[in-house]
Formats: sequence, C-alpha cells, structure tokens
Amino acid sequence: MKFQLKNTIAVLAFTTLFVSCSNDDDSSSVVEGTTGDVELYFDNGVAGDALILGNTYTNSNNESLTINRLNYIVSNIVLIKEDGTEFTYPKEESYFVISEEGDLLTVHLEGVPAGDYTKVKFGIGVDEQRYLQGESEQQSFWDLAAQYNLTWTWSTGYRFINFEGTYTSPAVEGEKTFQVHQGSNSAIDNYREVTLTLPTTARVREDEMPNIHLKTDANVILDGVNKIKLADNINEAQTGTAIMGGENLISIAENTLQMFAVDHVHNGSHTGHGE
Amino acid sequence: MRTIILILSFACLFISCSKEEEYTEINKSIDFQVPVNFPVLAQDIEHNWPTEKGFELGRKLFYDGRLSADNTISCSFCHEQASAFTHHGHDFSHGINDLVGVRNAPAVQNMAFQSEYFYDGASNSIEMLSIAPIHNPVEMNETLENVVLKLKQDPEYIRLFGVAFDNGEVSSGNVLKALGQFMTMMVSANSRYDKHVRNEPGGDFSQQEQYGMELFQQNCTVCHKTDLFTDSAFRNNGLPPNPNLNDLGRETVTGFAADRHKFKVPSLRNVELTAPYMHDGRFGSLQSVLNFYSSGLVDSATLDEELKHEGVLGIPLTQEEKEALIAFLKTLTDEEYINNSMFYYQT
Ligand code: HEC
Ligand code: HEC
Repeated sequence: MKFQLKNTIAVLAFTTLFVSCSNDDDSSSVVEGTTGDVELYFDNGVAGDALILGNTYTNSNNESLTINRLNYIVSNIVLIKEDGTEFTYPKEESYFVISEEGDLLTVHLEGVPAGDYTKVKFGIGVDEQRYLQGESEQQSFWDLAAQYNLTWTWSTGYRFINFEGTYTSPAVEGEKTFQVHQGSNSAIDNYREVTLTLPTTARVREDEMPNIHLKTDANVILDGVNKIKLADNINEAQTGTAIMGGENLISIAENTLQMFAVDHVHNGSHTGHGE
Repeated sequence: MRTIILILSFACLFISCSKEEEYTEINKSIDFQVPVNFPVLAQDIEHNWPTEKGFELGRKLFYDGRLSADNTISCSFCHEQASAFTHHGHDFSHGINDLVGVRNAPAVQNMAFQSEYFYDGASNSIEMLSIAPIHNPVEMNETLENVVLKLKQDPEYIRLFGVAFDNGEVSSGNVLKALGQFMTMMVSANSRYDKHVRNEPGGDFSQQEQYGMELFQQNCTVCHKTDLFTDSAFRNNGLPPNPNLNDLGRETVTGFAADRHKFKVPSLRNVELTAPYMHDGRFGSLQSVLNFYSSGLVDSATLDEELKHEGVLGIPLTQEEKEALIAFLKTLTDEEYINNSMFYYQT
C-alpha cells in the first residue's frame, strides 16, 4: 500500500513536471496526419493606443484624425514552421474581412496540420491573380466585402482598406472629412504580403488551438515610412480629402508593410475537436 | 436534329435512372472557338467556361430590367443588338429615371479578347465588369445583392441557376458569371473583312476598299491593332477636351496625371452601326471622325506619340483617302452578328 502510494506520487510529480514543461516548449508530440484550428486576432490600434471609433488622435503630420471606420481585407494566409516548411491555407477559403465597426476581428482557420509554427504570412487585400479569376474563384467573398464597404462599384475592384473619418489640420480651416480607400486598379497592383515572426511558437494540435494576437496600427496608413498629409490632398471644393488613386496608393501600400505585428501567442486553448 | 434526339433520349435515360425520380436537366459546355484570324483570348475563361445553360441564363439577365432599381432598364436598353450592342442615336446613354451619363455606350463584342473594359479601364475582368453598370446611379442604380433578392422570387430563375451552375445557387457570383458567359459568346468575326482575310467566299473587296485597307494599315493599326481593331490600351488621340464634362479618362481610375485624357482605344468592328463616335459621342459620322484625325487634333502633354510625326499633328488625309478609309471601315460590318438569333432573348 505504502509502496503503491509512493508510486502514485511519483507518477503525479512526473505528470506535473511534464505538464509544466509542455507549456513553454513543444514537447507534446505531433501526431502525423492530424489537424487543428488556428485563430488570428486583430487588435486594432493607433500609434500604440487602442483604436476607439469616434476618438481623436494627432499624428506626426500634425493632423488630428477622428476615425469612424477601419475595415480591411486579409488574405492568403500561410503558416511557416521553424524549418521553413509552409502550410498554405486553401486559397478559396483564404479571404477575410476585419472590421472595427462590425466587431469582426478574428480569423478562424481549420484543418491546419498539427505542428509548431514560428511565422505567419498574409496578404493585405485581394491579389491580382485571384481577382482576374473572377467571381468563380472568389465565391461569395464579394457579398461579404460589399457588406463592409470594401468594394468599389463605379469600378470593379476591392477596397483593401477602408479608413474614414474627419480631420483638422493647421493647413485647412475647420473640420474636413477624409476617406482613404486603398486598393489596386487595372494599372497598379497594390496587394502586399507581410511575414511576421511569432514571439512564441504557435502549437497546433488536434485538441489545441493557438490564438495569434496581432496588433494593427492604423496610424501608419498615412504616417508611416511615407508621410501623406490629408490637407495636401484636399478636393477642389475644400470639403474633404478622398485618397483613392494615384501615387498615394503606392505609398500607402509600402506603409502597410509596417501595419501589423504579432504581440503574443496563446497556446493550448481547447477546441473540442479531440474529444 | 439528330443530335437533339440523341440528347433527348439521353436525358430520358438519365431521368428514368435517377433514383430520386427528380427531373434533371443536362447542361453541356459550349465548344467555344477562337476565330482563326483573332489573337488569343485576353481573359481567363477556364474558370467560367460557357455552358449552354449558363449562356442562356446570361442572355436572359442581359435582357432583364430587374437588374435596375425600378425594374425598367436592362443591359440591352443601352446595348442594342441592331447597332452592335450600342445605344443607338445617343451621344450619352440615358438610364434610369432618364438620367444621362457622361459617356457613349461602346459596342459589346469580342469582350473575352480584351483586357480592359470601359473607356477608362474601370474594370479588367469579364466577370466583374457588370458590377459597374448595375451600380452606376445614372445607369441601373441597383445593387448586386438586391438583384439577387429579386431574382430569388422568380421560380424560373431558381430553376435556371439550378441547372446552369454546379452549386445551383441564385447568387451574385453566379449572376456575374452568367453575364460573363453570355459576353464571352458575343463574338463578331464574320464581316466581309474577316472573309477577305480568311480567303473565304463572300470576301471580295472593291479597289476602293482595298486602297482603304492599305491606308488603314499605314495609319491606324498602330492603335486599332489586330483583327480586334483595338490594343486595349489607353491613349490620347488628341480630341479637344469638352470643358462641360471635364472627363479625365484613364486618370479617373489610376489617379495619375500622365493618364489625363487617355481613353481606351475602341474596336472599330461594326463601326458603321455605332454612331455617334468617341467616348462622348461628339461625332455623328465617320466623315467627321476622319476630318478630326486629319485636322482637328489638339496637342497636349499626353497626346499619343503616334499622332505627332515630325511636328505634324494628326494624320493628313485627302478627301479621296477619307472616302477609301470609310469604304474599308464599312467592310467591318458583321450582319451575321447583329442578326444572330442566338443573342436575342426568346421567351
Ligand atoms: C444606361 C445605359 C447602360 C446600361 C443600362 C448598361 N450599359 Fe454598358 N455601357 C454603357 C456606357 C455609357 C458604357 C461606357 C462607359 C464608360 O466607358 O465609362 C458602357 C460600357 C460597357 C462595356 C464595356 C465595353 C468596352 O469595350 O469597354 C460593357 C462590356 C458593358 N457596358 C456591358 C453592360 C452590361 C453587361 C450591362 C448590364 C448589366 C450594361 N452594360 C448596362 C451604358 C450602359
Ligand atoms: C494614337 C492611337 C490612334 C490612332 C493612330 C488612331 N486612332 Fe482612332 N481612336 C483612338 C482612340 C484612343 C480613340 C477613342 C478616343 C475617345 O473616345 O476619346 C479612337 C477612336 C476612333 C473612332 C471612334 C470609334 C467609336 O466607336 O467611337 C474611330 C472611327 C477611329 N478612331 C478611327 C480611326 C482611324 C480610321 C484611324 C486612322 C486614320 C485612327 N482611328 C487612328 C486611337 C487612335
């Protein structure tokens, strides 16, 4: 009896050790051929603060922006392992809308091969190749995008980012509206991809779902490596600024390469798949 | 006839076999052929290859006013077959509530061979382009989502979408695909000119037409390229801008000042039938168009290089040469296309 108890304690101690270890390394084994879920959570912010629609902040261009809308498209998600092997999420399922006003902040992926992932890659917007394959390949994504003001209808493309509100600037009198509609047109392809390193390995198992928590910085859209002053782009009637074409979109595309960072990864959420 | 019987008997067989005892219509893909004198397709139609039912559905949609907000304006309202799918007699097409647009409706033909649509290239996809007229406030002023809601009320459409597409859904995607299939099939390649270059019967040219063709090749094919008579490029051909419209052309889409007053080179097929001419329909006749090319151009920062040779603006032409060019342009009229019952809507 005594002996048995001792044994039990030993086993318990061993298990505890095991459990505590597996929290920060990847010793829980990968069962070949199994899959799990992954979640990407987009935490929208501006220059380090939380993004609160209707609040005003001032950027380094000395313009004060009241943001009323931040919607964007993320796509073509790829998860990358330490050794460089990539898992590309099925393209036809790989287009997502993130919307602050719609409280649509999570991308849920299913059927990801079990493994330990160290990087995530995704696109901002809709790639030209997919766009030209037309509706047959985009499925009903158009309808979803339209619902979140992420389509153009006078021309036929997607808005990759819809960033709107009002602003004041020393260079203009009073409050003006702004609309930044980032996208491609038939002359320029503004689709860009970013690859982000995860601070902690994201562990995908049949019953473990990592949650990759990203921070989005809306400030860099206009105030990134390229500085775009809204006041410099005001319309002739002086009522507001609409940035929807030209060189600005190319500058914004470059800025958005810095728009996302992975803040942290939660491992170990149970998905229920394994039960 | 024989094939029809064959198909019918096959259909019967199929029906009697199916255990669910439900009536299953058969959809077949269409044998789409590229005319031998045409360049390769510019659109990737692999993903939306025309089928008999998809085409028929696209045709029905093209002729259906329900694609507009007040259910009165169909695509065919502005794109009439008898005038090569242009809006006959209108410089600016008028649409819903008699609102008037700022551009002239171009011919809809050989669309799958072109890489850009609309005078400013607002779309470059044969499947997506229909979004523009449907949403345009002065054309159909509708939304795709609402069109779908309306079509879902109609059992006939439910049936047609069911047979035309694998997923069988009445959806915005399938509306666009069906219209894309219809436009893919709208090929005009049987004018007297086509027969002439393919050495087919009925392709004889008069001396004047032959001379006109030579003049055309010397002066016009740099832009009105290939047997499509367009290179799908955006160019400024020197039209004096209309200050009342201030239509910036390609710049509207790209936002680049370098694209100011550039417009898509239109195809000249069926040009005899598509008056008035140019993006704003300013010219009522081909004679006026040629008068413009020979003496009406204005220089500007974006005027096309091809129209500025050794300090001479435009294309100097004598009246005799203009007449020969017009005679040649008329050989591009394709009676088979404008009379083809395949493109009518039959109830
Ligand atoms: C109110 C009139 C009107 C209606 C209705 C209309 N169109 Fe048009 N269409 C036009 C005009 C005007 C243009 C030229 C517009 C431009 O270049 O900006 C055009 C251009 C086009 C083009 C481009 C041709 C080219 O060579 O670039 C296509 C294709 C087309 N329309 C198809 C359609 C379809 C399909 C529909 C129905 C869904 C439709 N149109 C409904 C007036 C109309
Ligand atoms: C530099 C390129 C260029 C050359 C060379 C050129 N065109 Fe054009 N053409 C255009 C463009 C661009 C348009 C449309 C302009 C617009 O609508 O603003 C056009 C329009 C036309 C139209 C009106 C078509 C319609 O449906 O509205 C006709 C007809 C025409 N051209 C005939 C000719 C002929 C004939 C020649 C040779 C004598 C010629 N073009 C040479 C570029 C060119």
